[in-house]
Amino acid sequence: MSTATKLDPAAAQRAANRKSAKAGRTVIFRVKRCEGPGKPSRWEEFKVPVPPGANVISCLQHIAANPVTTQGARTTPVVWDSGCLEEVCGACTMVINGRVRQSCSALIDDYAPQEGDVMVLEPMSKFPVVRDLWVDRSRLFHNLQRVKAWVPIDGTYDLGSGPIESPASQGTRYKLSECMSCGCCLEACPQFNLEEDKAAWDTSFIGAHAISQARLFNEHATGAILKDERLDALMGQGGINDCGNAQNCVKVCPKHIPLTESIAAMGRAVTIHGIKKFFRGE
Amino acid sequence: MSEATTAKHPRSFLERHHHLLRRLHSLTGIVPIGVFLISHLLTNGSVVWGLLDSRKAEYGHAGVATFQHEVDFIHSIPFLFFIELSLWGAIAFHSILGFYYAKTGITNTGSYSFGGNWRYRLQRITGYIGILFIVYHVGTLRWNWTFLTPGGTAWSAEFAGSTMAQILRGSPSELTVAGVAVTAGYLLGVTSLVFHFANGLWTAAITWGLTISQAAQRRWGYACAGLGAGLMVMGWAAVIGFATLDPAEAKATEQKFRLKEQREAEKIGEVIDRERNRVSAIDAPR
Repeated sequence: MSTATKLDPAAAQRAANRKSAKAGRTVIFRVKRCEGPGKPSRWEEFKVPVPPGANVISCLQHIAANPVTTQGARTTPVVWDSGCLEEVCGACTMVINGRVRQSCSALIDDYAPQEGDVMVLEPMSKFPVVRDLWVDRSRLFHNLQRVKAWVPIDGTYDLGSGPIESPASQGTRYKLSECMSCGCCLEACPQFNLEEDKAAWDTSFIGAHAISQARLFNEHATGAILKDERLDALMGQGGINDCGNAQNCVKVCPKHIPLTESIAAMGRAVTIHGIKKFFRGE
Repeated sequence: MSEATTAKHPRSFLERHHHLLRRLHSLTGIVPIGVFLISHLLTNGSVVWGLLDSRKAEYGHAGVATFQHEVDFIHSIPFLFFIELSLWGAIAFHSILGFYYAKTGITNTGSYSFGGNWRYRLQRITGYIGILFIVYHVGTLRWNWTFLTPGGTAWSAEFAGSTMAQILRGSPSELTVAGVAVTAGYLLGVTSLVFHFANGLWTAAITWGLTISQAAQRRWGYACAGLGAGLMVMGWAAVIGFATLDPAEAKATEQKFRLKEQREAEKIGEVIDRERNRVSAIDAPR
């Protein structure tokens, strides 16, 4: 906590807000709504009484039970996606007051400590909207397939016991394995942008999460069997070379995964792979 | 997945050589462009650091004489045109591809106002400003686009400092409005290019995988910032140094310097002639 607030003024602001939060207040929720794919979006506002410890999801539940706007008009309940409600599944990721994060762990006290303060909720802008705050993150998972982000263990025979792992390698890889495919790094990335045409997915920027997962599985003794294939995928258009080094990914990652270190490490791997290929004449 | 789409459409030249072109784009920014930028700013800064050379003071303005000496040296390099050609080629390659690559991103510093994100945005803005400045700079000083210099002044390699001062000041005598505009443009151009190079050097180390840990990236960041600060001082010194020169005094210095050089060359010629005569006198059959 202390290091996070030191690095990010927004985090320090949130900590200060939490201390000064007024009990029994009402907060305005400004929600970007959309009835379905391709439909235009509009804004609606809701007044929500905020009990202590409320988070964005609990307030969305209140709106779902009382779908009445501040003007008193009855509307449809706001739709959102969620799963674990403890910031490990990534499903409830949305843009809250202009920044991407998980809505389950977003406490109202952090953002709207005073009576009448406004919370702005938007769906992630880099994925197609399914409805309201719910987006289709298929491209994120497609990009994991591009780099074969798995350990190949399917076979017709017993593969025996797994490889022995050194504590040092385990230390590096454990952190990378915490990725929950939430999409924060992609939402904040200026090089990763909305692409509705699936045919263009393979040549559009792959994103920090997939580069980091390629590193995770390349550094796994069994996963390394697919190393060259992963590096080939990262060398192509939309691969690691399309990274613009804005480094927003590492700043917004809720799991504090060292994404920029993964990008640099895979940059080195791709450099060596490229030189090898050049001299092998492939 | 990838098999399906690769079969669907023929891959373009840019797509087939994506990695090579991207890495050449990164490399050309350092060699030759960045290396040239360092030597170019050190040369131009000589109008200020040359003042420290007391041996040049006899010509008048030691900075102008030192700069003229540097320019004369550059013009003595054999195959200079081919060096220029490789630079023009590299700059064209780097800027055209850079423009194309920059179009693949959408800046978002409004929502994510992190330092790194601002550097990402500035890298693109300084690229645009930088290429416009380079075209103006090379066009007016090398290709003689005198219709774009105040008063139609042509830069001359023989009178390098005085003609440069005249262009930056707008007239042979006093500083004009056009002169202030050109000087401001030069300051903006130099600042943009130095930032672009220093930041590009920092990101290139990540792209190629030289700096991996955040500590290494931070350390290399200090090194690049230091280099950038040094080049910035040199670039600003050059622009302000030329803009504050008295073109008439600078021209007198250059004439004196040229005369001295010629006299020395003549002296060497005389010595050579004398020696040659002496040798032939010895060799001559008695």
